[in-house]
Amino acid sequence: MPTIELNKVRKSYDHFVAVNDLTFSIEQGQVFGLLGPNGAGKTSTIRMMIGITAPDSGSINLLGQPFARKSLQKVGYLPEERGLYKKMKISDQLVFLGELHGMSAAHARQQALAWCQRLEIDAWLEKKVEELSKGMQQKIQFIAALLHDPEFIIMDEPFFGLDPVNATLLKDVMLDLKKKGKTILFSTHRMDQVEKLCDAICLINQGTAVLQGDLKTIKSGYGKRNVQIEYEGNGDFLEKNPLVSAYNNYGNYVEVRLAPGADAQELLHMVAGNSRVNKFELMEPSLEEIFINTVGKTNA
Amino acid sequence: MRNIWIIARREYLERVRSRSFVIMTFLIPALMFGVSVVPTMLANRGENGVKRMVVVAADRDTAEMIRSRIEQEQDQEKSPLSNTRQSRRKSSELPIHFTVEVSTNTAEAERTALTEKVRLKELDGFLWATPDAIAAKKLVFVTRDVSSFIENGVLAQTISDALRRHALKSKGLTDDDIESALQAVEVDAQSPLGKNAPNPQIMFLATLGMVMVMYMTVLLYGINVMRSILEEKTSRIMEVMLSTASARDMMAGKILGVGAVGLTQVGIWALAAGIFSAGTLAATAGMIKGVLSVKLLVFFSIYFLLGYVLYSTLCAAVGSMVNSEQEAQQMQFLVMMPMILSIVFIVNIFQHPSSPIALFGSMFPFTAPLVMFSRIAMQTPPWWEIAISIGIMVATIYGMVLLCGRIYRVGILMYGKKPNLPEIMKWIKYA
Repeated sequence: MPTIELNKVRKSYDHFVAVNDLTFSIEQGQVFGLLGPNGAGKTSTIRMMIGITAPDSGSINLLGQPFARKSLQKVGYLPEERGLYKKMKISDQLVFLGELHGMSAAHARQQALAWCQRLEIDAWLEKKVEELSKGMQQKIQFIAALLHDPEFIIMDEPFFGLDPVNATLLKDVMLDLKKKGKTILFSTHRMDQVEKLCDAICLINQGTAVLQGDLKTIKSGYGKRNVQIEYEGNGDFLEKNPLVSAYNNYGNYVEVRLAPGADAQELLHMVAGNSRVNKFELMEPSLEEIFINTVGKTNA
Repeated sequence: MRNIWIIARREYLERVRSRSFVIMTFLIPALMFGVSVVPTMLANRGENGVKRMVVVAADRDTAEMIRSRIEQEQDQEKSPLSNTRQSRRKSSELPIHFTVEVSTNTAEAERTALTEKVRLKELDGFLWATPDAIAAKKLVFVTRDVSSFIENGVLAQTISDALRRHALKSKGLTDDDIESALQAVEVDAQSPLGKNAPNPQIMFLATLGMVMVMYMTVLLYGINVMRSILEEKTSRIMEVMLSTASARDMMAGKILGVGAVGLTQVGIWALAAGIFSAGTLAATAGMIKGVLSVKLLVFFSIYFLLGYVLYSTLCAAVGSMVNSEQEAQQMQFLVMMPMILSIVFIVNIFQHPSSPIALFGSMFPFTAPLVMFSRIAMQTPPWWEIAISIGIMVATIYGMVLLCGRIYRVGILMYGKKPNLPEIMKWIKYA
């Protein structure tokens, strides 16, 4: 049973179409990436999923039923715009948000303590939000989204503004939730951060889905047209090379996209003739590359 | 329903526990006490309360008469028997105690000498009551405190009284005749409804007091709703809550929660006022009875609640539209305008409770709470007028909740510039 299904969902504001006949579904237990540049319609789509706005046309099924507010108690949402009551105590705040999600006050308090212990901020439970650092506030925000043990977790730009320690912490929590069979939706424009986590993606641009499906399938469809080379010596071989369509040079490490029809072996020989090669690897394109490639094409 | 309750409860508890609530609850009565009682206390506090003055007149009789009147006036203050209205009023206005000396030396040199004594603070004042001055009905009282008008005004009355008595006595009247001739007459205003009808003056003051309480609380807590929504908007917690509670629940919860805080505060004040003035209340129970009738209290509650819900709904819409405290302040004045206008016209409505302005004001939903309540208190209109007024208000509130709910729902997610009217119209139309 899909956790959520969008069927030809459309939303427009005045003459601006924010979401244009979008159709996709997320299976239970999947980690799904809703990807696209800024202003592509990601947040508009999410807001319709959780009933903040209603679609102009099309339908949304949540947890196997047509959208109903009651189902929202099984959804956890981390909005892009983070916010908490500044003058409220952490524990009270978490209990309040837990109660809004249908928990009893006692259960919410117990869960809040458990989560805060896990994320190592239980010492701050009785402090006010305004006394906390940015990083701690982020943690509280995650707890607020996860406190009621939701079946479906929506995270809009979850890694935005996170330091590496907290980003890793969040990633571990997410993997743990995935193991428990929860469905997770990531929405982001930072592809590199979700690439290793997602099972499936939907890439949207200007409100329209331009690419969607299983991530492995998509990547293999693009073929191994990328080469990673670590070398010592002269990098001149990259210039005006008919085998190379694009490259990204980091000095003694370069990522090369092969020209259509070019043979990687030919390139290896050429590089080896020029400099010392420490590593030569054929790779699938990164999600970012696919993204830039696809969005670039549709925008052109 | 559960969400409305949870949101209202959070709002209530957070507010009632906040420092500003505690401060407001104690500060406002303290401020009112300060404004009304402290100036009187300050005015009553003389220089040890005792002043020395000299009365200068050509004949000892006149001077003695003036002295005895001033001293009598002061003695009455202490006397529990001085319960006629006139003496009570005067004694309360002559707070400074004079010790009066008498002199019959009306030479210019004496006047200069006394003036010098007053200047050097050896004396607090002297009254120059020469026969010429008395004939011209214009005496001079030399004092350093020329601006102390209460003292001088009361003094003038006392002296006039003394001179009048002296003149009558010189015409051969007995003390008893003079006393009864100068006895002031009391005039009691009475309602045609009979002896048990409330005193109109007390009625007026009591109604004014209730109208002001209604005005201030609706204003204060309406603005509180606005600021609280603005705070949620700027702290960006809105979207987290919207993922589970509907915008309508959020708005309703907020209005109920803040309203309950308002009731709590008014309740605390009423209780405190009741306890502190229990003695006074018992004394004036007769006068209060009939003023604070059950009918009036019921209508106060009805119009207070209707007014609060109407205005806080409007304030909720405004709070969701704006992005900063400054913008909110500009808008809140516009929203509160009808309330302020009602207060401007309120005395007129008290005096003419059936005038066209009063009639219109009591039907127009945004002024009805204050105006209709005043009319009911002053001269209860026919029941159907009250029914229509309440009906219009309830209908307006219903419409406003729908309209403002739509603005609120969109407004809380909009950041950036303040919307203009066409944009707000568009928000209302959004699905």
